[in-house]
Amino acid sequence: MRCGDFRQSYAEDMAIFDSPLPRWLLTALLAVLLVIPFFTGSYWLDVLNRIFIAIIAAMGLNIVTGFTGLISLGTAAFLAVGGYTTAALAGKAGLPFVVVIPISGALTAMVGLVFGIPSLRLKGLYLAVATLAAHYIVEFTASHWSSMTGGVNGISIPAAKAGPLVLSSDREVYLLILVIMVGMLFFAKNLFRTKVGKAFVAIRDQDISAEVMGVNVFRYKLLSFAVSSFYIGVAGSLLAYQARLISPENFPITLAIDYLGMVIIGGLGSILGAIFGAIFITLLPEMLRLGTDALGNTWPGLMVIVAPIKTGVFGLVVILFLIFEPDGMAARWNHVKAYWKLYPFSY
Amino acid sequence: MAFKKTFLGAALAVAAMAFHPSTTLAQAEIKVGGIFDLTGVTADVGKPYAQGVQDAVAFVNEHGGINGKMIKLIGADYAYKIDQARALYKRLVNDEKVVLIQGWGSGDTEALKDFVGQDKIPYYSASFSAPLTDPAKFPYNFFVAPSYSDGLRSWLNWVKADYTKGGGKGKAKVAFMFGDNAYGKSPLAAGRKWAAEIGVDVVDEAVLPPNFQDATSQLLTMKQKGVEYAYIQVTTANVAIVLRDAQKLGLKVKFGSNPYGFDENLPALAGPNAEGVTGLMPHVPYGTAVPGMKDLMATHDKVRPTEKGNAMYVRGWTYVMVWSEVLKRADKAGQLNGPGIKAASETLKDFSTGGLSQPVTYTPTDHRASLTSEIFQVQSGKLVKIAEYALPRTPEWLGL
Amino acid sequence: MEFLLQLVLNGVVTGSIYSLVALGFVVIYKSTSVLNFAQGEFLMLGAYVCLSLAVQYQLPFAVAFLLTLVFSAALGMLTERIILRPMIGEPVISLIMVTLGLSALLKAIVQAVWGTDLRPFPNIFPATPVQLGPLPVSQGYLYSTASVAVLLLIFTLFFKFTRAGIAMRATAFSQQVSLSMGISVKRIFALSWSIAAVVSAIGGVLLAGVRGGLDASLAFFGLKVIPVVILGGLDSVGGAIVGGLVMGVLENLAGGYLDPLVGGGAKEVAPFIVLVLILSVKPYGLFGKVKIERV
Repeated sequence: MRCGDFRQSYAEDMAIFDSPLPRWLLTALLAVLLVIPFFTGSYWLDVLNRIFIAIIAAMGLNIVTGFTGLISLGTAAFLAVGGYTTAALAGKAGLPFVVVIPISGALTAMVGLVFGIPSLRLKGLYLAVATLAAHYIVEFTASHWSSMTGGVNGISIPAAKAGPLVLSSDREVYLLILVIMVGMLFFAKNLFRTKVGKAFVAIRDQDISAEVMGVNVFRYKLLSFAVSSFYIGVAGSLLAYQARLISPENFPITLAIDYLGMVIIGGLGSILGAIFGAIFITLLPEMLRLGTDALGNTWPGLMVIVAPIKTGVFGLVVILFLIFEPDGMAARWNHVKAYWKLYPFSY
Repeated sequence: MAFKKTFLGAALAVAAMAFHPSTTLAQAEIKVGGIFDLTGVTADVGKPYAQGVQDAVAFVNEHGGINGKMIKLIGADYAYKIDQARALYKRLVNDEKVVLIQGWGSGDTEALKDFVGQDKIPYYSASFSAPLTDPAKFPYNFFVAPSYSDGLRSWLNWVKADYTKGGGKGKAKVAFMFGDNAYGKSPLAAGRKWAAEIGVDVVDEAVLPPNFQDATSQLLTMKQKGVEYAYIQVTTANVAIVLRDAQKLGLKVKFGSNPYGFDENLPALAGPNAEGVTGLMPHVPYGTAVPGMKDLMATHDKVRPTEKGNAMYVRGWTYVMVWSEVLKRADKAGQLNGPGIKAASETLKDFSTGGLSQPVTYTPTDHRASLTSEIFQVQSGKLVKIAEYALPRTPEWLGL
Repeated sequence: MEFLLQLVLNGVVTGSIYSLVALGFVVIYKSTSVLNFAQGEFLMLGAYVCLSLAVQYQLPFAVAFLLTLVFSAALGMLTERIILRPMIGEPVISLIMVTLGLSALLKAIVQAVWGTDLRPFPNIFPATPVQLGPLPVSQGYLYSTASVAVLLLIFTLFFKFTRAGIAMRATAFSQQVSLSMGISVKRIFALSWSIAAVVSAIGGVLLAGVRGGLDASLAFFGLKVIPVVILGGLDSVGGAIVGGLVMGVLENLAGGYLDPLVGGGAKEVAPFIVLVLILSVKPYGLFGKVKIERV
């Protein structure tokens, strides 16, 4: 059993996994994920797709809020920008998805840059409310720029295509989403091993000191918004390809609150946190539905209070997590891992 | 621990779904999907509608079902959120394998149109949006009422008649007040065109934002433009807010309301502000003396004795009467599947719902159930019929 | 000209209700540095409790109202004790999230207990509108403007001259120093949350009374008022009042002049755009205290 650290080179020090076991487990997990779509029904495939998209967007939000400390309520707005850009490029211009997805991400990054400008002057709650303004502005544009966005009726998106390859079934879209998600998570993990990532963390911890040490705070804050919005934009683009139909009602302010919940419950400032949070919050309504469906046969009046139960459980879960597990699920996971790693020596 | 349990539960559920054998429909059961709004922004009319549907299904099952087969209504609340409607639709069609869907809102019905056409699932929507009546674009969509557009045309006819009768000179000045969504905007284009044709002036169009509590600025603008008649395309609870603000401002505007903004709740909510307000009622008020009302009232009193009967309940009930008849015909022809049910729907010609609504007619080229609209008015807190307009079945208006 | 005046007047009048709600936010923030996203739900819960007492239990309205205030005070104290006490010292984002969670929970409780139907609210104001210049104003709005003025006076005096008020400001400034000066921080927190809940309940009852009906959409007022609070400055009572009136007027002007141009919806967005513009000049709001950061 391994105990403690023993590193002999810089490469070992910088490695993501410091022993072969996690690497093998990760490979096994990826293999399972690749094969799962051939065994699940279409509904659960849909759920998996939504989970992966949520992971990408939660990762984006984690970059700006968890790693850089800038509270952003604009997640729903950026998802909308990514989605509608995809609708325009794929639907009207008929471009292939290999082009559409990066461009959607880039456009959302630019929009994120614009809405990140207030971060120069605003801090904390004031910045959060400024990003709330971003949400309402984007919502207004989506509802009223009918020629581009289809207005309140929404707009449909054709199946993702690239040359002769057409991803028409949920299974094929799943593989696309899986590949992109793994790639982006890997990029994020590496981002925080570089100068840029460390500058983000420095800003979160103490931005005045960071400035004194030579970190150009404003530039990195904007970069943080840009990178985060890129992630969220890509997630929005994949959402468009998966749902094949978006409308302004898909992006209410409660969605931004959900994502904030994901990031906080999962654990701020950690990749694993984004993953856990996304899985948990996306599965919560599904579990509730299964529960109420099962009980619904014995208690028919349940159908009416399903919606409040969903909201209520979400609220309760958030509160309980914050009181009892303020560092999130990732922290708990790391505690458990550390416990097992050092077992039976717990100190 | 709780997380572990949830995870275990999730894993079991995934396994169960994965290894669930694909079902061939049990012969004694016909699965019908229901997409209802019980807690969303249109819940004030959505809930009684859903109750009507549920009670009617139980009634049909008690009286022989569909040629002996029972209807299994698999319904859920989607809270008027389009993405939830999509997820629900996927579940109903792919996992539950329903043969017909009882849908609700305009936005989601129009959004699901491509999938409905692809999957060939007959979709009876509570939305009366005009494009849904064109089988060339929406072959599997039906609804049991005149469209919002036809209703507005009829109301504008009434406006002209009322204005002339009141001795008005020139053109009547009309305003449209509507919610910022697909349902709200549905009849506007048709309304503008028809107004121009019959000589009525649409001078103002006001948006009512979602969850609005105050309509004063919109009404002030209308007052400035000298509006005399206004048509409101939002649900009943919101119409009550507009009426209250209008009364407060002392506006002398004659208001008209759409089929989802005019039922027994309006005089209950708006009180004296509702007096004189007109509205479209494709389904009669609860308690009207027509043959179909007897069974309806008996069931309602038995199942929901403490709740007041409502025109939306009547609407839900009427829908079930229509599509259960369609299911019977499809079953008799041995074609209890998507295309078969569509064809059976199109055999309905002047089908009577026992007076609960106008007779229903569908043809393969025209899904307009009826072109006759009845206009009611609130008089002393009661809903009284004051006019009826039968529009011609012009092919040019199909889908508009 | 008359149109403009009518819009401005209507804006002032509806803005006074915003100010009332904003006051609740400010009271909590001033003493605990927490922005309570659940304030809208306090509003709604207060109104529903009053409705139940008045309609279901047939109590005379004044009695129902007073009982509602007592209930709200208790609710505020309970919330503080159970939910906010364990969060002392947590970063601001956790505080935001916990109040968001609370708002979801309260909304769900209200929906489960009272359903989503629109319920008629007893008419507590005489129905005849009062003529203010060119604009008829319903008496409910006048009552709310009056209550806001009274409350503004009470709170300004409270925070400036009473011991409890000064203790609250001290706690907001620095909890450790206040503790060492003998101020019971726990009691201050409980007091401020109770006051905020009571103010919200008053606002909720007024709003429901003006509308004549009550349903879950009342909670949206909370989210709507947050830009008001930010505009005025999170810790300024006067700022809340000014912010509310400014927002009310802005909304109505946008609705009256911009809506016809853009086809509706400007009423919602315009206040936010103005907010961002003002924040870029005054990052702590119009009257907020500028935080001096030290490393």
